[in-house]
Amino acid sequence: LSRSLRSASVVVLEGTTARLMHGAAAALALGACVVLYAIDPARPGFYPTCPFFALTGWYCPGCGTLRGLHQLLRGDPGRAFGLNPLTTLLLPVVIYGLASAGLGALRGRGLPSVFVPPSWIRGLLALVVAFWIGRNLDMALLAWMAP
Amino acid sequence: LWEGPSPGEVPGGTSVPTARGYVGTTRCRRGRSRRPLRQKVPGPPQRVPTYLVPAILTTVFCCLPAGIVAIVHAAQVNTKLAHGDITGAKQASKNARTWSWISFGVTVVFLVIALVVGAATEQGGTG
Repeated sequence: LSRSLRSASVVVLEGTTARLMHGAAAALALGACVVLYAIDPARPGFYPTCPFFALTGWYCPGCGTLRGLHQLLRGDPGRAFGLNPLTTLLLPVVIYGLASAGLGALRGRGLPSVFVPPSWIRGLLALVVAFWIGRNLDMALLAWMAP
Repeated sequence: LWEGPSPGEVPGGTSVPTARGYVGTTRCRRGRSRRPLRQKVPGPPQRVPTYLVPAILTTVFCCLPAGIVAIVHAAQVNTKLAHGDITGAKQASKNARTWSWISFGVTVVFLVIALVVGAATEQGGTG
């Protein structure tokens, strides 16, 4: 990884469309944070239910994300982890990506692009699937996975 | 949105020492420098985005298996790059992007339906 970081090149956004799309993604994320800070998803009525949960009655890997982000924005990472540990752990990657998108939209150059080893991505895939199954199992040992 | 390979990690982007000159010609004797020159040989542009961040975002926010399919393709991008298969990597990159958009699009459609039906007001809270 350190080798990848040292030789990393900066993300370059060419063309107005690319910059607009990346800017829109970053702006959408910022707007979502404002709404999530202001309105608690644990209070029913404002946010829609997860489609997967509504259709199947099972949790998806993302269930608890909105409530967790609300807790995080309110300064409670512990409860955020409790609601969705996967999202909480992946958040640094997502923030880096969105920050790069926002910077890229503003000045044409984002943050250094990092080569993620394929084995890491496959590991992430296994983690997501295991988490998806695990949080739906009715076992005391896995209760921490459920939102 | 763009994690591609860094230059030097893929064939074609490597650093190659140039010859000291042209042996046997006058050019060789009058060369500017006696030090061996190292020159970056520019390969074709080989940054192939994995779209890993959109894949993660749609997995975590859109609650659909489509996000997971996007992660599968994201993994294939860097696997194929590591093997020098640029064409395959670009195809996998395109697939990863498409599946992220599918996940996003289906979720938007679902949200619109939920708003119209009014189901949102009755059972919110599992987002």
